[in-house]
Amino acid sequence: MAVVAAAAGWLLRLRAAGAEGHWRRLPGAGLARGFLHPAATVEDAAQRRQVAHFTFQPDPEPREYGQTQKMNLFQSVTSALDNSLAKDPTAVIFGEDVAFGGVFRCTVGLRDKYGKDRVFNTPLCEQGIVGFGIGIAVTGATAIAEIQFADYIFPAFDQIVNEAAKYRYRSGDLFNCGSLTIRSPWGCVGHGALYHSQSPEAFFAHCPGIKVVIPRSPFQAKGLLLSCIEDKNPCIFFEPKILYRAAAEEVPIEPYNIPLSQAEVIQEGSDVTLVAWGTQVHVIREVASMAKEKLGVSCEVIDLRTIIPWDVDTICKSVIKTGRLLISHEAPLTGGFASEISSTVQKLCRIEDYPFYKRGKQTKKSKLLGQAQWLTPVIPALWEAEEECFLNLEAPISRVCGYDTPFPHIFEPFYIPDKWKCYDALRKMINY
Amino acid sequence: MDSPSLRELQQPLLEGTECETPAQKPGRHELGSPLREIAFAESLRGLQFLSPPLPSVSAGLGEPRPPDVEHPPRQQQQFSSLDDKPQFPGASAEFIDKLEFIQPNVISGIPIYRVMDRQGQIINPSEDPHLPKEKVLKLYKSMTLLNTMDRILYESQRQGRISFYMTNYGEEGTHVGSAAALDNTDLVFGQYREAGVLMYRDYPLELFMAQCYGNISDLGKGRQMPVHYGCKERHFVTISSPLATQIPQAVGAAYAAKRANANRVVICYFGEGAASEGDAHAGFNFAATLECPIIFFCRNNGYAISTPTSEQYRGDGIAARGPGYGIMSIRVDGNDVFAVYNATKEARRRAVAENQPFLIEAMTYRIGHHSTSDDSSAYRSVDEVNYWDKQDHPISRLRHYLLSQGWWDEEQEKAWRKQSRRKVMEAFEQAERKPKPNPNLLFSDVYQEMPAQLRKQQESLARHLQTYGEHYPLDHFDK
Repeated sequence: MAVVAAAAGWLLRLRAAGAEGHWRRLPGAGLARGFLHPAATVEDAAQRRQVAHFTFQPDPEPREYGQTQKMNLFQSVTSALDNSLAKDPTAVIFGEDVAFGGVFRCTVGLRDKYGKDRVFNTPLCEQGIVGFGIGIAVTGATAIAEIQFADYIFPAFDQIVNEAAKYRYRSGDLFNCGSLTIRSPWGCVGHGALYHSQSPEAFFAHCPGIKVVIPRSPFQAKGLLLSCIEDKNPCIFFEPKILYRAAAEEVPIEPYNIPLSQAEVIQEGSDVTLVAWGTQVHVIREVASMAKEKLGVSCEVIDLRTIIPWDVDTICKSVIKTGRLLISHEAPLTGGFASEISSTVQKLCRIEDYPFYKRGKQTKKSKLLGQAQWLTPVIPALWEAEEECFLNLEAPISRVCGYDTPFPHIFEPFYIPDKWKCYDALRKMINY
Repeated sequence: MDSPSLRELQQPLLEGTECETPAQKPGRHELGSPLREIAFAESLRGLQFLSPPLPSVSAGLGEPRPPDVEHPPRQQQQFSSLDDKPQFPGASAEFIDKLEFIQPNVISGIPIYRVMDRQGQIINPSEDPHLPKEKVLKLYKSMTLLNTMDRILYESQRQGRISFYMTNYGEEGTHVGSAAALDNTDLVFGQYREAGVLMYRDYPLELFMAQCYGNISDLGKGRQMPVHYGCKERHFVTISSPLATQIPQAVGAAYAAKRANANRVVICYFGEGAASEGDAHAGFNFAATLECPIIFFCRNNGYAISTPTSEQYRGDGIAARGPGYGIMSIRVDGNDVFAVYNATKEARRRAVAENQPFLIEAMTYRIGHHSTSDDSSAYRSVDEVNYWDKQDHPISRLRHYLLSQGWWDEEQEKAWRKQSRRKVMEAFEQAERKPKPNPNLLFSDVYQEMPAQLRKQQESLARHLQTYGEHYPLDHFDK
């Protein structure tokens, strides 16, 4: 009985993977389907499988961009790519398996619509895909490369870090590959294990010259992806694969842009700042509700959106206001991007840097000055005081992240920084 | 509205759960030149590109390129159990019932095409490209000017005036022979030992020197080590230090050129050592599968720093790898400017006409050290170097040709040596005197626009220099 149940579990995973994943690469794909007759036990197995660790929260229907349509994440990506290829005759999409529609269906229909010279498969070689994309971009054409899983981006690391990121700088701006965008599925998916779950943004955060962008939802994805494609710098766009189907909301059909390097405060609050990106934004949103309900704590929730260059001002302003910061990501703790945010915030968060902000509320003056402009009157005296910065924080900055292990398979529910871990860290900060 | 609804885009998937298997799709004619069916034997003036598959492997020698690479012919055949022919999608071949391993042929490898002998005499008159006098003189003067510049800049490194240099001794023929066969707008991706290509394209001495000195005239804004030249006007992509990274990039550029109907070829230079990198394999494979108009030009000069070719590869050099990828390939005498010229010319013509890659392996010898950081006497004999310098040098061979044509003589040689040396010295002295660029240029061009945080770092350096400036070489830099 246990064997059948286990086998049924495999079937479910296979089906799920086959529908939305590259199951050629998953172990056990060779099991014969005939062996596994769907039976009553299948439903039990489904109930016993872990439910998702988050609940997707759609944003309100956007009204300023024209007609919308309900789209999930992969459909919103398709829509963005469709808009790009329609607008820009030089744009091409390439990578492994993109021709038939892609293992996550992000490129469905595009080859038929735009032609096989514009949407095409490449051989199985990530360093080739990115190098090839750089070359296209060097001629000024728009290159949209797909790396099938972020876990497989590492063969292309040299091309990205040593070449793409440095093309403009090293040539004195004679040449650049700004019209290159690399898209890749990213993050945990429930069963992806070591090689279908990684979040490698921290590796690239250390590389000046590229931009790294991660959306939390279909609406965000389309606007951010369009901005990446149009941006004059090479961009990496990580797409949370668990959201491909799970996240659906109204998305404008026409193209629109969401600016890069701007974090979004999706919920205002006064007691603690919560920062995350991608799927984890939905986790911390839920943590904010839990905090309100159980602790009476008001949380400010921020989606970072662009990892580099990141929006230091928005985060700092928020932490000046609340005095507490919690950052959460799936990637391992050590060297994860939360460490960069943490280090920068603790150094920069002095009242003197943000003179028109008062703890607990936004003053009239700061509101008038708007987003980032008030930061520019940099008085030399302030900067001389840089060395004697002091903490403006009510509690140490909290990082709730994956453990310093490779991403495990069966232990995923224990590995991920779920809402309970975030809630617990928040509680400790409040009681500090 | 220019975009249909997503439903329309997803129509195929909504109808069924499976995607169409390749076998069901009707064979479609690839977007490519109709000239691809050209037979193996067709070639200009006797030089022959080796057509894949290799003779020892193929069932039929002289087969044209596989026609439709997206849908190999096998998949379009009707499957029949009575038919005993192989049905595998992965290879187009016959069955054999004898167990036999293919022996790689390295004793008698791919032959080396040449036009002139070592004394500069044309061997087969029908292969003589009959270049006009001005062009041959330009070839000669480019090579010799490069040689002179190399000597002076190598010395300047030894004297501590520039930090680093790489000479091109012995390989000048590969540069100018290939450059002369290209259009001026053909895009060049190089490795680091192709300065002769820029020289042939009339890149001014002043700019060569400016880059090596990193002075304010350097178009690269002083960011890279010497010899990392780049020139947008002359379509020479800026050199980078990592080896072979330019190979898949060149392929991408060629693909874009094809899409743009630019009638442009991309040429990609690399050494036999760089050809061992994964990027080289990636580039070759992509170029063939995506049908790109690109010339892969390998300078096989015998050494990768200290590593001789016997430790770099065991196969028959780089040319033999081409057919493995489905690439037309040839091996030429790299010290024979006319052979290099002929091969490049023909490769260019066909690459553009047929949208397929060509691989040219130019055999040559690196007479100089790898760089100023290398002393090659540690790993090779002086006799070996002398042989190439005295007995088989591209400059001498062309000079003999010029002399035999009556287009050059000792007097002109003397005069030119003086003149070229004077030109180089003038540019050299000018370059020495110029200041370096403003330190603010340390911060620009990381992105197209400077990010706020980087601007803060720039301001932080400015403040630091206000207090500690005396400890920095500010006098040499532009204010």
